[in-house]
Amino acid sequence: MVIIKAVEGWIVLAVGLHEETTEDEITDKFADYGEIKNLHLNLDRRTGFVKGYALVEYETFKEAKNAIDAVNGTKLLGSTLHCDFAFIRAPIGSGGGGTSSERDSRDRASKNRAGGRRRGRSTSPTRKY
Amino acid sequence: MGGDDEFYVRYYTGHMGRYGHEFLEFEFRADGRCRYANNSNYRNDSLIRKEMYVSSLMMKELKRIIQESEIMKEDDQRWPKKNVVGRQELEIRLGNEHISFETAKIGSLVDVQESDDPEGLRVFYYLVQDLKCLVFSLIGLHFKIKPI
Repeated sequence: MVIIKAVEGWIVLAVGLHEETTEDEITDKFADYGEIKNLHLNLDRRTGFVKGYALVEYETFKEAKNAIDAVNGTKLLGSTLHCDFAFIRAPIGSGGGGTSSERDSRDRASKNRAGGRRRGRSTSPTRKY
Repeated sequence: MGGDDEFYVRYYTGHMGRYGHEFLEFEFRADGRCRYANNSNYRNDSLIRKEMYVSSLMMKELKRIIQESEIMKEDDQRWPKKNVVGRQELEIRLGNEHISFETAKIGSLVDVQESDDPEGLRVFYYLVQDLKCLVFSLIGLHFKIKPI
């Protein structure tokens, strides 16, 4: 049986982006805190301008937390950004154990999510070596 | 549940065809629970279900996107009715406003222009795209393995 090691990073959400914000500007803003593994800067489908939010992925919790603390409340192109983690652990008692969590104890050593797969959730794809 | 704090969004698009009931559906609950389902029997494929919890900042942003679209002011009365090609459903509860729209699939802006309510349908058309964009980003970032 192959144990699934999902590629997980820590996803930071930034909102309040100026509509002309570019990917480079976001990269520059967030690169100080760690290597950016992934960036989504979605556009408004009607206007072509930036929709107003960005999702930035770091490999470690520490990098993400530093980025959030440092960038939250600062300005970019005159607009004030607000940052936080994008994903949270399922609230206790909702039966949501096993869904991936991004904000929890500082146990980043184990990225293995093989256990506790929630019934009713499709398994994530296995890595094809 | 306080009327002022209510927030719920659900979008569905689908059709019946050769490959069974093919549909895409996602839903956000006020506590941040996001569920996603994508079904098709194409080449014997089966249902994909994902579930995750997003932060309150994300829910706030989602609310902003919906409010700015002004979709809550629209009405689907004059929109194309669902047909054999398929249907879309959008249900939103925001504060004490509640909308529940059902319409046919929209192929392109031409379908919007030629409808009986181009202005309203256009709002719907673009909001759906923006919502999908957000959901696909979240799902991809949360679950997808990057190739080596």
